[in-house]
Amino acid sequence: MRLTTRNPTFLRAGALAGALVLAGCTAGGSGGDTSEDGKVALTFLTFETPNLDAEYWDAAIERASAEVPGVTVKKLVSPSADRTGYAKQLDSTGQFPDMMIGLNPAGFAEAGKLAEWSDAELANYAQPEANTYDGKVYQLPYSTQATLVYYNKEAFARAGVDAPPRTYGELLDAAADLRAEGINPFVVGGGGKDTWADMFPLICTVATDIYKQTPDWLSQRNEGKVKFTDPAFVSAAQKVADLADEGYIDRAGLSRTYADTEQAFRDGKGAMYPMGTWFSASADTKKPGFETGVFAWPTDDGSAALPGVTGGGMSVSSQAADVELAKKWARAFMEDEKNLDAAVEADGLIIDIKGYSPPPGMGPVYRATVDAYEEALDADGVVNSFSQETGDGSLPPGLADKAAAGVQKLLSGSMTAEEFGEYMDSQWDKATR
Amino acid sequence: MEIKTRRRVRPPAAAPPGTGAAAGGQRDVRAKRRPAPSRRARSRAGLRRFALFAAPGLLVYAALVLVPIGIAVGYGLTDKNPFDPPTEFVGLENFTDLSSDDEFRTALKNTVVITAIVTLATNAGGLAIALLLDRRGWLYNALRSVFFVPVVLSAVVVSVIWQTILVDDGLLNSMLRQVGVADPPGWLSDPGLALYTVSWVIAWQGLGFCVVIYLAGLQGIPQELHEAAAIDGCGPLMRFRHVTWPMLAPAVTINTVMSLIGGFKAYDQVQVLTNGGPGPGTTSTLAFHVVQTAFSGNHIGYASAMAAVMLAMVAAISVVALRLLQKREVSS
Repeated sequence: MRLTTRNPTFLRAGALAGALVLAGCTAGGSGGDTSEDGKVALTFLTFETPNLDAEYWDAAIERASAEVPGVTVKKLVSPSADRTGYAKQLDSTGQFPDMMIGLNPAGFAEAGKLAEWSDAELANYAQPEANTYDGKVYQLPYSTQATLVYYNKEAFARAGVDAPPRTYGELLDAAADLRAEGINPFVVGGGGKDTWADMFPLICTVATDIYKQTPDWLSQRNEGKVKFTDPAFVSAAQKVADLADEGYIDRAGLSRTYADTEQAFRDGKGAMYPMGTWFSASADTKKPGFETGVFAWPTDDGSAALPGVTGGGMSVSSQAADVELAKKWARAFMEDEKNLDAAVEADGLIIDIKGYSPPPGMGPVYRATVDAYEEALDADGVVNSFSQETGDGSLPPGLADKAAAGVQKLLSGSMTAEEFGEYMDSQWDKATR
Repeated sequence: MEIKTRRRVRPPAAAPPGTGAAAGGQRDVRAKRRPAPSRRARSRAGLRRFALFAAPGLLVYAALVLVPIGIAVGYGLTDKNPFDPPTEFVGLENFTDLSSDDEFRTALKNTVVITAIVTLATNAGGLAIALLLDRRGWLYNALRSVFFVPVVLSAVVVSVIWQTILVDDGLLNSMLRQVGVADPPGWLSDPGLALYTVSWVIAWQGLGFCVVIYLAGLQGIPQELHEAAAIDGCGPLMRFRHVTWPMLAPAVTINTVMSLIGGFKAYDQVQVLTNGGPGPGTTSTLAFHVVQTAFSGNHIGYASAMAAVMLAMVAAISVVALRLLQKREVSS
């Protein structure tokens, strides 16, 4: 006390420093933010890819903001494609964004961090029940993305493969023919920070060998009825390991980032590129030096089993500065026709909004992609996409990353399919402990 | 020097009361108006001044370092998962679980390997380059700047540059193929090689710091010592062993401790170059594993326990290294 009385300067300096420190520590999250012009300030978490660049996001934000006055949107960009992981980091520091796109709602939804979309708000969406959590929807299901095999038609012709394979046996034959011709059959990446990019072959084999027969396999795994060491899953993993062991998947790809992997396919470093439908847009707008075709990863008997996931849209924080306004803006962003056209053109999305038709000028690879998807849809052959599922019955948090890391070893030959199954079971137990 | 002088000069003894001398009376009045501060009062005043100047910095340090550390250690005693409330106190359970956690042990082993390689490589390389650059002339001055450039670059930028060089069909392997190596190594894709590749990149970036510290150390060695050793018949190697190396002891201490700490904190390069792969945990470090466990797996409590253990290890290793190396400084 004497100190403060005799030397108030000390007190003032201390108080000032404390105030500055506390001000610096204050989270920059939502909580009733209002910008200087009286508009509600909302943060919006996006992510950038070679297809969805900064220019795309800025233009789309501007269009949505024009439709919903009274909102100032601050764009946040995830440092990598893993926007879900980044959202978790922001959440842990009290900066959970007000709006997010393409987030995996698992965890956030159950913890009450996301606002629920009502039936009325979902009225325009073709598959509103696509990814529900206990019957509730936390992400606008505005598009479907599927995994297909894009292929180099010239390489196929050089190897004497006349038509895309319709059965798994034909796929192996085509790979053998390509290899014999000195052409690397599959381009698969997953290096650097983009480990997820190595998942596509396994996504396909799990779809054809497990989800086709048992669509709720992951829900059963959650209930302990099935395990990753069961013969069905091991068999699906074995197919991937065999492709690598036969030399059909170039192990050099394991060091390539996602962008480098796409470039490798464009550069003709492989004939087949198992990838999400978003590649179709890129293949049309920045055409490789060859004609690109597309087919669904075949099942053993030739029936349809196409891995796809519907969702990908906006989620709104339940703690947003103005939840209703944020929802309004999010729907405006999602449902604006120009935004949808831009998303289709930039990212090859298959839009699930009623009454929407893609722009007439879409290229041949996109059209072939949509045809393959609709063919599978007609044959009731669209199944879940392993590690990309959302909603009830999806992988526990963190397990998709672990699966991708395991696939790296599977592809490099340093882990057998059985070991991969055991690894997945142990990781599941850890994730759900 | 000033303190000793003050101790010697004692204030004059006060005049006995009732002497009536004008001068003495004047001194007496002055003494009453401005009594010489006691040693205790001076100490208190010094403390106040110190507190005044130190308080802002201490507050910032406490808010940004000590409090977060305390919170993290506190979380380590809970099962905190932001997506699975409520958080419960679990005591030391997280810490005991760590002892049987294979992934944590792998991350610890990788961190030790990286730290050892980085410490040895940066010190050996840094000293060698510093010896070569310890000359006068514009070329040497320019080269010093060149070697320091990686230090000021972001670790992410450095990693992205090295990634383009080290990927399987990158610059390095293209060059190796040009000179006839048919199947060059998968620097980042071979599980047996990736950890050493990551270590190399970290060491490369840290090299410049060691060069600068060793150069400063070399330039602080009196030329007379070298001349005396030469007169005594010492050749270059003997002079290095008996003059240069002992006199560089403080620089060795700084570089070793900084490299140890830097190695233990390795994260950025792992994230960019390998994402902890290829394969589960192949190049995962403690810092990387902590972030993955916390923000991918949502196990904040468990990850905080890991972070607390990591902090304790870094602190312990730094203190031990500092003590050991400082002993060498004293004996030299």
